[in-house]
Amino acid sequence: MTDTHVRPVPVPDALSAPFWQAAARHELTLAQCAKCGEVTLPPDVTCPHCHTTEPDFAFVPVPGTGRVRTWTVIRRSFLAGFENPFVLVDVELDGHSDLRIVARLLDGADVPLTIGARVAVEFEDIAPGVAVPAFRLEHGE
Amino acid sequence: MSGVFKARNQVALVGFAHSKATRKPDRPLGVTALETARAAIADAGLLPGQIDGFVSSPLLPSTGDHAVEDGISTVTSNWLARHLGLDPAYVVGFQGIGQITGSLTLAVNAIASGAADYVLFHRALHLPPGKYNDNAMASASGGMQWMAPMGFFGAMPAIALAYNEYCQRYGAKREAMATLVSEARKNGSRIPWSAWHGKPLTVEEYMAEDMIIEPMCRFDADMPVEGVACFVLTSAERAKDLPHRPVYVSGYASGYPTKNRAMLHWTLDDMMEAGKGLSARLWGSSGLTASEIDLPQLYDGFSPFVYIWLETLGLCKPGEAHQMILAGGIDSDKPGTLPVMSGGGAIGNGRMHGVPQMLECYLQLSGRKGEWQREGLTTALACHSTPHFGGAVVYTNDPS
Ligand SMILES: [Zn+2]
Repeated sequence: MTDTHVRPVPVPDALSAPFWQAAARHELTLAQCAKCGEVTLPPDVTCPHCHTTEPDFAFVPVPGTGRVRTWTVIRRSFLAGFENPFVLVDVELDGHSDLRIVARLLDGADVPLTIGARVAVEFEDIAPGVAVPAFRLEHGE
Repeated sequence: MSGVFKARNQVALVGFAHSKATRKPDRPLGVTALETARAAIADAGLLPGQIDGFVSSPLLPSTGDHAVEDGISTVTSNWLARHLGLDPAYVVGFQGIGQITGSLTLAVNAIASGAADYVLFHRALHLPPGKYNDNAMASASGGMQWMAPMGFFGAMPAIALAYNEYCQRYGAKREAMATLVSEARKNGSRIPWSAWHGKPLTVEEYMAEDMIIEPMCRFDADMPVEGVACFVLTSAERAKDLPHRPVYVSGYASGYPTKNRAMLHWTLDDMMEAGKGLSARLWGSSGLTASEIDLPQLYDGFSPFVYIWLETLGLCKPGEAHQMILAGGIDSDKPGTLPVMSGGGAIGNGRMHGVPQMLECYLQLSGRKGEWQREGLTTALACHSTPHFGGAVVYTNDPS
């Protein structure tokens, strides 16, 4: 099914702007709390770990590798602008067992998947100066 | 709170009414709510002037292009009290997901504390015109910026992710879910007000349906409807003088998310983990345990929630809900089973949120289920939403 709509672009705000600036450079970052040093995503108005009201998050780059915790094949998206079918993966990033990101897997809808499959972040350029994270299977381990 | 709920079995459901759950409402929601409220008050053997408390949870359908208008797209307790011509002492609303269990606690506590003597508890659901889910969004701000630009939109993909993790971890097959959904539709098809009245669904029909968000098909999500349910509550003492057998609230508990995630990123482990705390509080509050519940009614706004509730409440072992269901373990027509969908749930009746679960507990424990009355029941449990956003309530017809 082709679709004349465009994909929704993220609207950066005071909290998220550094994340999207890094994403535009194809760099995945996590929000690191200035008080306790723990990372989170998305950034909240407080730190979810130490609960400080002044987390002053710094967005630190991470390699963006991890493993697939689960996935779904979207055969009919409720959101305009996507070509169906596509795969969404729920990825646990290496070194951050509590932190998970849901994004598209760019290997096609029919690629065989298993829990624990290794993936690495890639970015989709969806508008001028706007890129969003996605994942691709790592091969040749 | 520690120990058993101080108001355990001190507050009772004493009457109810339910409108038709319909895809084609022919009058404003408020009018349906008023008539349903009057019917529930009469069912309880009371007059409107005796109602001095109104409790509800007016959360709307979250999507669709419609203006919020009290009496049209929502019905608050304030609106209902005013349109009944009353000036009640206690009028409150619950904000949050898990609306039925959340707001019911406000009603129970009001009666237990003496803030109100007779409470009208209602839930009114509006069906906005147009499609419920389709969305042509050009930009995503706030919490949505962490989902929609990546192709993650709506609740169904979130549930499909958690459900697929379950399937992969425990080897659950689609046949088990077909059995569950068919069971819900069978029971709903027997209920006159149900949107699926007279329309059961076979396992074969489920299996033939295309998946839209793997491993889910459209039958795994409840169908949006317009409808109203009302219940009347009062103290156990006052309930003695009313026409129907009272059904007492033994205890309740809610659950909360503990991890910071994108807003609809509901993981299997998060739900199961929150359910542990919820269950501990529920059994502590009610003084009962899972094995003492005669009739659990589990929430099924999306069908995989039933697996999660079965396991997190301890009604079966973790990872075994799908096997129990596939083996006929929840079949309401077989003796010796745990018929967790006997009220039809949301899948079998339409999107009335946790109402069908609460209603089935009330009808069965008060002996008012008619042709489908089950014998020998003294305890029941109704839950709503997920263990990490919703709650559960334990009922009994034997307060001794
Ligand atoms: Zn911190």
